[in-house]
Amino acid sequence: MNPTADRIVLGAAAAAIVAYLIFPVIVVLAISFSAGNFLEFPPPGLSLRWYRAIAGDPEWVSAFMVTLKVGSLTALLATLLGVPAAFALVRYVVPAKALLSALILCALVTPPIVTAISTYLFFVPLGLDNSIVGLACAHAVSGMPFVVINTAASLRSADRNLERAAIIHGAHPLWAIARITLPIISPGIIIGAILAFVHSAHELLIAMFVLGGVGKPVTVKIWSDVQATSDPTIAAASAILIGLAILTFVSVSTAQALARRRNG
Amino acid sequence: MTAIAEHAPPRAQAVQPQRAMPALLLLPALTWIAVFFLLPLVLMCWRSLAADGYSFKAYWIVFSSPLYTKVMLTTLESASIATVLALLLAYPMAYTLTITRGVWRGLLLMFVFIPYWVDIIVRTFSWLILLGDHGLINGLLRKLGIVHAPLPLLYSEFAVLVGMVQILLPLTIVVLFGAMLRIDRTLISAAKIHGASGWNAFRTVFFPLSLPGVYGAALLVFVLSLGFYVTPALLGSPRQTMVAQTIMVEASELLEWGQASAAGFILLVITTLIAAIYNRYFSLDRLWGGSDA
Repeated sequence: MNPTADRIVLGAAAAAIVAYLIFPVIVVLAISFSAGNFLEFPPPGLSLRWYRAIAGDPEWVSAFMVTLKVGSLTALLATLLGVPAAFALVRYVVPAKALLSALILCALVTPPIVTAISTYLFFVPLGLDNSIVGLACAHAVSGMPFVVINTAASLRSADRNLERAAIIHGAHPLWAIARITLPIISPGIIIGAILAFVHSAHELLIAMFVLGGVGKPVTVKIWSDVQATSDPTIAAASAILIGLAILTFVSVSTAQALARRRNG
Repeated sequence: MTAIAEHAPPRAQAVQPQRAMPALLLLPALTWIAVFFLLPLVLMCWRSLAADGYSFKAYWIVFSSPLYTKVMLTTLESASIATVLALLLAYPMAYTLTITRGVWRGLLLMFVFIPYWVDIIVRTFSWLILLGDHGLINGLLRKLGIVHAPLPLLYSEFAVLVGMVQILLPLTIVVLFGAMLRIDRTLISAAKIHGASGWNAFRTVFFPLSLPGVYGAALLVFVLSLGFYVTPALLGSPRQTMVAQTIMVEASELLEWGQASAAGFILLVITTLIAAIYNRYFSLDRLWGGSDA
């Protein structure tokens, strides 16, 4: 094959794969603005009626509030636990580092159903089931790797001499970290916290066991409605989650651009 | 070497605070993981043994029941096919990413990342609409006169795989792209200077060098596929039931916590083994700047 033919074949393959990745997202967005009563694509007309339906339904409003609370608490816990761990892993010679890394990351590859039933068995005797705090405690375990990975990446690319300079000039080492290093690596920490939030907002199985009754978060509400109803309300709720995803992408890219400008 | 080390007490003392500090920094994270992740898993293991006095009865039921054998085989089959398909589609995309620059690379990465951050239920739900009897695909096929009655696309292995691969693709692409970026591009240029065509340079130099990355991605994607719940539940028929669904039904509907725990523990052992192989060959501590022995 000649180089141009190569490029055309690759370009066509890439375009087809992008279409496969993006099309489902576009379909849900389009149906959420449907004027019709059913889940049909393309929608017969456009309206905001299904968004109004969500705003007017106390169950949906409460679901979004629960997701917001669990997600924020998860992000906070993951940050408080993950940032110090990233410092230890990047800056120190730690014995059995491979094992510790595996331990921090393993929640991400453990099948969610296993985490879900084991968490439930653990929470029921402690009275942590049906609790927003309980769910956030469980989500913090799988949210933490996002904070550790992104903080570690920032920390590795940050110039440590700035911190050393502050210490030489008389700053207490902890003060130097707080005033010099933390601001430099803050984009990485923010990205990690956002991803931990999104991870919590998307998690279904643990949420189903811990908050499956009253006070469901959005994913559990969508999941129970998907199997029962067929009007575009679910599409609108999904579209709000997609909006969250796009917002995530924009904030992560902004944070990364900020980090690049600082270091470059 | 050892003799010198033994006669160097001042250095050993200087190392002292270096040991306390990282331990202190790691303590909160590790304690949290121990309490909210490992302890529950131990509890689940205990529960699987304590179903009826202390015995392996629950495991015996799981291993001898035709239902579990069938579900486990379906799970392995769906996960394997989904992994292969995801790799086949991700490879050209990741390769395209390595040869594009600037705006194009940014744009392609955006298209890869946005679906990654869209909820799995939402993405699965979308196929429910597209593949249905009155969905877009059947509508299009009928309009073009290719079929007269709607094709039964939904509630089939086909639908489950379409959904699973779409969900697995972004991660597969990102992992392969990362591995491909570590390949030394000058080797391809060298092959071309020595007369290889673009295709031959790719086939004999780039492709073999990218294989370790492909194996790594395969292990990772396969582990994740084993735990799928939403996609087979929504897009599959009862024949496509995967093990996570069976565990869910045992626990939440039949309240057979002993058997659910036993099946969960078996699934945990399988995924941990695969993850351990991954960690052995594609060391995870690369994330923190490489292994320090």
